[in-house]
Amino acid sequence: MRSCLSAVCRYEFRMQIRKRSLWISTIGLAALITVAQGDRGPRHLPAGTDAAVVMGSWALLFSMLLPIGFGMVLADRLVRDHRIGIASLLAGLPARTGALVAGKYAGSVAATAVPGLLVLCVAAAGEFVHRGDPALFGWAFAAFAVVLLPGLAFVAAFALVCPLVISAPLFRVLFAGYWFWGNMLGPDYLPSLTGTLLTPIGDYPASWLIGERALYAGEPGWLSFLRPEPGGGAALLSVALLIALAALPLAFAGPLTARRTSS
Amino acid sequence: MDIKISGLRRRFGRVEALCGVDLEVPGGMFGLLGTNGAGKTTLMRILAGVLAPTGGRVTVGGHDLATRAGRLAVRRRLGYLPQDLGLYPDLTTREFLDYIGLLKGLDDDAARRRQIGELLDMVGLADVAGRRLKGFSGGMRRRVGIAQALLGDPALVVVDEPTAGLDPEERIRFRTLLAHIAGHRTVLLSTHIVEDVAQTCQEAAVMAAGRVVFTGPVTGIVDRARGVTWEIVTQGPPPAAGVVVSAVGGPDGTRYRVVSPVRPDPAAVPVQPSLEEGYVALMREAAVPG
Ligand SMILES: Nc1ncnc2c1ncn2[C@@H]1O[C@H](COP(=O)(O)OP(=O)(O)OP(=O)(O)O)[C@@H](O)[C@H]1O
Ligand SMILES: [Mg+2]
Repeated sequence: MRSCLSAVCRYEFRMQIRKRSLWISTIGLAALITVAQGDRGPRHLPAGTDAAVVMGSWALLFSMLLPIGFGMVLADRLVRDHRIGIASLLAGLPARTGALVAGKYAGSVAATAVPGLLVLCVAAAGEFVHRGDPALFGWAFAAFAVVLLPGLAFVAAFALVCPLVISAPLFRVLFAGYWFWGNMLGPDYLPSLTGTLLTPIGDYPASWLIGERALYAGEPGWLSFLRPEPGGGAALLSVALLIALAALPLAFAGPLTARRTSS
Repeated sequence: MDIKISGLRRRFGRVEALCGVDLEVPGGMFGLLGTNGAGKTTLMRILAGVLAPTGGRVTVGGHDLATRAGRLAVRRRLGYLPQDLGLYPDLTTREFLDYIGLLKGLDDDAARRRQIGELLDMVGLADVAGRRLKGFSGGMRRRVGIAQALLGDPALVVVDEPTAGLDPEERIRFRTLLAHIAGHRTVLLSTHIVEDVAQTCQEAAVMAAGRVVFTGPVTGIVDRARGVTWEIVTQGPPPAAGVVVSAVGGPDGTRYRVVSPVRPDPAAVPVQPSLEEGYVALMREAAVPG
């Protein structure tokens, strides 16, 4: 059973990365936000801006829309075993449900990260043409790891598990609504999670990279205890909280899958 | 691996899918016949450890399925082809088998690849091993299904309606393959197709409405129709009594074969029954309790 987890991980990665909708949605959304970024976007940062700031800004820009696509393309990963009729076969194998769920999660998150990282590298290449700073590429990876990846890990856990309880299309609608409410709706309009440590958009890590408030991080509002001043510690705490929260739905994935197979 | 089932029950809400099944399956190829909704799939899912019974006891090769350790021990030696198995469309045949092989714990890469190669040859899919599974025909999918079931050389193979929807040639190929692999294994084959059981199994059970109504040698099913199977050629309406099993039109009228406890027509003559007629007779008996 040594290789069970790695086998699920490897094959889920393969299946997800071959999914055309993953590439279309990521590239499409990245192109859209690049074109629509406005004067405050990273394209308009003055010459001589620090590479960390440039790539932190790009990562945050992509993080506004890309996770919506991530959530959509990840939403069928667990339920489709039931839909296409392979769940019974998997349940009759000696592999443990926990290993199946963990492998599916890790493999599909890793595959989903690939086009995300790729568009950030393309942005770094574009910036490199103007700015000529090779550090942009290193910061592209760093910014991806702290701004986009924790959000992806968070979104993926819910996208995998929620459709076991509600339908995948309903999840997609609710998720898109949540994304704008909980990440981009200014906290002064409505009580919202925007600007808290729990925003998967990566507001706190981006603020840390940029050295000032990137979006709404720490702005006064609802749940004030979740709105510390942005900085390195707050960024780290935000990433840790997102990953801890991601474990929550995953803990239910095994029992939910088993219940569905045996009913 | 022999299977011993006693008093097995399974309820889905109000539906009692299995209401006290007693069955012993020795080695070799064993047929499981039954009407739609008789409980065949439910029984097989319980054997595969996918579904928990509501009551009763099942042991497979001496392992009690009520215990976690028992279920795991059985799963390790089980090949299971569920009814309506789906396949991952984005994987190739070889990748799919490799994946299932790894999940079965076949960790030795070289041995696993060799076994996959042999199975692909055996089911006749070697030529399309590198093709994605989307776009495979029903017969090809079924062959992938049986190949995955045989990975790891299981001692018990449970196949749920593997021949449904296949063309006659493919069906014959398939059931011959199953009979071939049953040489040194227990193969439990569920089907609606009486002919498949007649051609491959020595022993069989028949289920109706969650119960086993017959178990024993296949010839025993035929015996149930002895003395109650009739043939009659008439230009008039079909016989009113009994169940018409076949009707063949000809120049001198229609030749009916009928299963009926009483002579359905003065002109009817008793004939040697087929397995299908035995099955029909059994179902009639099962429908009339007592
Ligand atoms: N998951 C389930 N939920 C509710 N009822 C179920 C479920 N599975 C089976 N049943 C019911 O249990 C009974 C037995 O079903 P089962 O699928 O075991 O029959 P079967 O003999 O395999 O039929 P078929 O030949 O049509 O495949 C049926 O009445 C069916 O409706
Ligand atoms: Mg069935």
